Amino acid sequence: MLSQFSYQRAASIKEAAEAASRPDVRILAGGTDLLGCLRNQVLQANRLVSLNGLSALKGIRQGPGGGLRLGALTTLTEIAEHRQILDSYSVLAQAAASVGSPQLRNQGTLGGNLCQRPRCWYFRGDFKCRRKGGDTCFAEGGDSQLHCIFGGASCYMVHPSDTAPALVALDAKVSITGRRGTRLVPLSSFFVLPADSLVKETVLQPGEIVTEILLDPPQPGARSAYRKVRERGAFDFALAGAAIVVAMAEGKVRTARVVLSGVAPVPWRSTDAEKTIIGKPLDAAVAVAAAAAAVKGASPLADNGYKVPLVRGILEETLTALAA
Amino acid sequence: MPETTAKPWGETKFVGKPIPRVDGYERVSGTAEYPSDVVLPNMLHAAILRCPHGQAQVKRVDLAKAREMPGVRAVLSDADKEAQIPWYAPPGSPGSTGSPTASRLFDPHCRFEGEEIAAVAAETPQQAWDAVRAIRAEYNVLPSVVDMEEALKPGAPAVQESGNRWGAPRETKRGDVAQGFAEADVVLEETYRTSCEIHTPSEIHGSVVRWDGDHLTVWDTNQGPFGIQAPLAAAMSLPLSKVRVISHYMGGGFGSKLNLGKYTVIAAVLARKTGRPVRLFLTREESFRAVGNRPAHIMKLKAGVKKDGTLTALQLTGLGEVGAYPAGTSVGYQVGDLYRCPNVLISESQAFINAGPNRAFRAPGFPQCSWALEQMMDALAEKIGMDPVEFRIKNYSAVCQMQQNKPYTSAGLRECLTEGARAFNWKDARLRSKGSGPWVRGVGVAAGMWGSQSGPPSTVRVSLYPDGSASLNMGAADLGTGTKTVMALVVAEELGVPLDRIQIENADTGTTEFTRPSGGSKTVFADSPAVRSAALEVKARVLEMAAAQLKLPVTDLAFQEGAIVAQGGTRKLAVRELTQLRAQQVVVGVGVRGPDPVDKVVRPFVAQFAEVEVNIRTGETRVLRLVAAHDSGRVMDLLTYRSQVIGGLTMGIGFALTERRIMDAVTGKMANANCHDYKIPTAKDVPADKTVIPIDLHDTECNTTGTKGIGEPATIPTAAAIANAFYHATGIRITAAPITPANVLTLLEERRKRG
Repeated sequence: MLSQFSYQRAASIKEAAEAASRPDVRILAGGTDLLGCLRNQVLQANRLVSLNGLSALKGIRQGPGGGLRLGALTTLTEIAEHRQILDSYSVLAQAAASVGSPQLRNQGTLGGNLCQRPRCWYFRGDFKCRRKGGDTCFAEGGDSQLHCIFGGASCYMVHPSDTAPALVALDAKVSITGRRGTRLVPLSSFFVLPADSLVKETVLQPGEIVTEILLDPPQPGARSAYRKVRERGAFDFALAGAAIVVAMAEGKVRTARVVLSGVAPVPWRSTDAEKTIIGKPLDAAVAVAAAAAAVKGASPLADNGYKVPLVRGILEETLTALAA
Repeated sequence: MPETTAKPWGETKFVGKPIPRVDGYERVSGTAEYPSDVVLPNMLHAAILRCPHGQAQVKRVDLAKAREMPGVRAVLSDADKEAQIPWYAPPGSPGSTGSPTASRLFDPHCRFEGEEIAAVAAETPQQAWDAVRAIRAEYNVLPSVVDMEEALKPGAPAVQESGNRWGAPRETKRGDVAQGFAEADVVLEETYRTSCEIHTPSEIHGSVVRWDGDHLTVWDTNQGPFGIQAPLAAAMSLPLSKVRVISHYMGGGFGSKLNLGKYTVIAAVLARKTGRPVRLFLTREESFRAVGNRPAHIMKLKAGVKKDGTLTALQLTGLGEVGAYPAGTSVGYQVGDLYRCPNVLISESQAFINAGPNRAFRAPGFPQCSWALEQMMDALAEKIGMDPVEFRIKNYSAVCQMQQNKPYTSAGLRECLTEGARAFNWKDARLRSKGSGPWVRGVGVAAGMWGSQSGPPSTVRVSLYPDGSASLNMGAADLGTGTKTVMALVVAEELGVPLDRIQIENADTGTTEFTRPSGGSKTVFADSPAVRSAALEVKARVLEMAAAQLKLPVTDLAFQEGAIVAQGGTRKLAVRELTQLRAQQVVVGVGVRGPDPVDKVVRPFVAQFAEVEVNIRTGETRVLRLVAAHDSGRVMDLLTYRSQVIGGLTMGIGFALTERRIMDAVTGKMANANCHDYKIPTAKDVPADKTVIPIDLHDTECNTTGTKGIGEPATIPTAAAIANAFYHATGIRITAAPITPANVLTLLEERRKRG
């Protein structure tokens, strides 16, 4: 049951940013993540500041030179169904379409999907873990089947977003507005590992709000895909997934981005996998080599060793499919 | 009128057709008032403080702050005299404080996360929860154990002072298994495991309670109000006549709503304390922990077979997960009864763990048993080179071996297997290419039976009015299964009254008569004969009236489609033309369920077929199609029958692929008490290609409607059929449910390493 809070509908981004700089205030967009956190007492808030009156944050606009500007309040359904995204950034359309359920995609926003809190069952449950100010990571001695195989330290959650790895693979930038103005951050630098912070998952400072996500024009010869493996057909987070963007030239891979979901506390870019495929034709042997390279250095916990062959399988399958 | 005088139906006009639900509009439009919709004037809202630890002794409960919170009207804890109500006493001995496992409403020794500690009633639900969070409780946290094998090890934390093993192993023995294994050409042994499942009905458990003087009225979401009335009356020290339980609509139970809930009693005590009605409905999180589950099971099964397919011995050693308080976990029945086998030994043990006690869950014990038995049957068939369908048909039993070889009133297992195989195109599907990967395909079969309960007692009233319309008055609840529709069809069949002219009053201990709650798939076969008997009595009274009016002998008259027709069709009298009926305005027929057959056994049978595909790179498993062939006797309504079976298949998919409770071993707390981490199947997990095949052998001996129950059989073999299809696709025997990508990948890696 929700505790009591007051509600404020911000009239401007500035007003929202000012309100959000107070520690007892939370920003409300689609609410699909925040309300669950409040209901389960994962977060506390005395006031919610809604962005939903801010039309500047809504919708998809053309960017300079053929790119796209995605308002932070754009719903996941809009992303998944947008013609240009389907045609030129299929990895993002596929990632957005794989989130939750139709209801969640209709309500959930792109900005919210990037800023959602961890889905670790200890963090969401009635366990006072390190990320909630406690002194234990319950996954360390407990059930770690859904936890990370890369990037864990003191906390072993996985980043729950599907769109984040797709956007990192597309080298997207995120526009952030705070009381002291606006800054542009590459999405690959937006997320924070537990080694750097145990209480926040992004570089957002108090009062900062994600307003827009910027996509460069698609590269010539680009192909992309998002593959997500989950335990049930819908309404489920990734056990593991991969967002892959490659640009082909003369039958060989010119550039490549391979970003994994469900395996690390941030969208996990595998430069080893990328190096394995760049400069080579995309065939089955290269796919196997890249998949093997991607899991080098994985350090599974007691219950999630399966994620190593899973990542391998996902990459073999998806790279092979992209070759066709 | 005793039900046994009714003759079997021949051709039916209403019964057996695909008839939409009589209350479909109300349910879909939202006008149906479920117990959780009930709002009473002046009503308070209650919430419960629950133990946050796997096991703890409550040292102190400080309610002072909560009591001062805005809107709070009452608080309740173990310190209150009114709360000294015994609980978890063994069945059949309500209030037995002498039992070693006896507890009470707010027992300070909390044996599982989610046990009740205190409660609050306030003006709004939010105020009630704010107050619950303001209660300061101090605990002496005790070690806990949440794994049944761990619980039985020496030195394990004690769940119950009398020991973590509940009772001595129970044995069922027939013949000599040692002899049977010696005679076998092939002996296989395997250990199978199933996971703990949560019922997760749409409507969460709860009650709205009101006192009128010393009369208690309860709107409660349950599977039959008479199953709640008696224990509630006992808990509140009231006569049955002063406790009224109403459950006109309810949003699913699957077995978890057969029991009286602590929440109902807490609401009743709070309502008496405040002199105001109280609403107390649980949250989804509470319902995951405290109102039942299908217990996990470990089943060691050894089986012997001759080369010609004759079973020689079956030996099951089972261990079931009770939870923190006594609740039965038996799974063995089908091992002893489904297939002809002269030598059987079943030994079952039960272990307490620090988790919520289990409750009946759609065919308690049977899907677990099928998971083991039907995979074993598959493995045996493979070893002797026999088709799995043929192997099952060969070992089909025409008599009930668990009841002195009494014959069944009807036994359609063979027909289920042959008709199901035909519809599935089994032989071709079995031979079809499995594919070269990463997706590989396979098909599987599993059979099953259900150990139905007895039919009686049930008393039903049917009234006919002078305008030809009727009313049906019965105690049974409609769990969403279509009970009201099915029973109205019986009235329509006998009296020729169209469904839209039948008023239905049901599931109210104040206005309807006793029937046991809906469990054991019994409602149709327990209550429809009583409805039929009541309608027949109405018919007999009407014919007597017509005979007097027409001055003809009763034997010359027949009741046809709502009118009385004289022999030869020479004279016809509509119901509204009956002068005697106009004079008395109503004819009432009372029907009573007659006894079950004495020398024969009533059992429904099932065979289900599954096709799956498995991704051998990622471990994903998808169910592609299902065929379900059921001998449940007569189909009463083809639409609700199909819906029941599809629901059972869906639940079976959850059991096979996605559902399991996860307990954190360190803290003894449930890790996935929410609907995204506890995964019931979605529409995308259920194949569009589902075929339901009713097998009706025209059973005239089971009861006067020829029905045997479909609710539970529908889910018994589904998971096993999926597991067998998984094996056919991959060559990997997955013995532990559910078949998640994690489990599949682990097994695939093991095979890869073996080479």
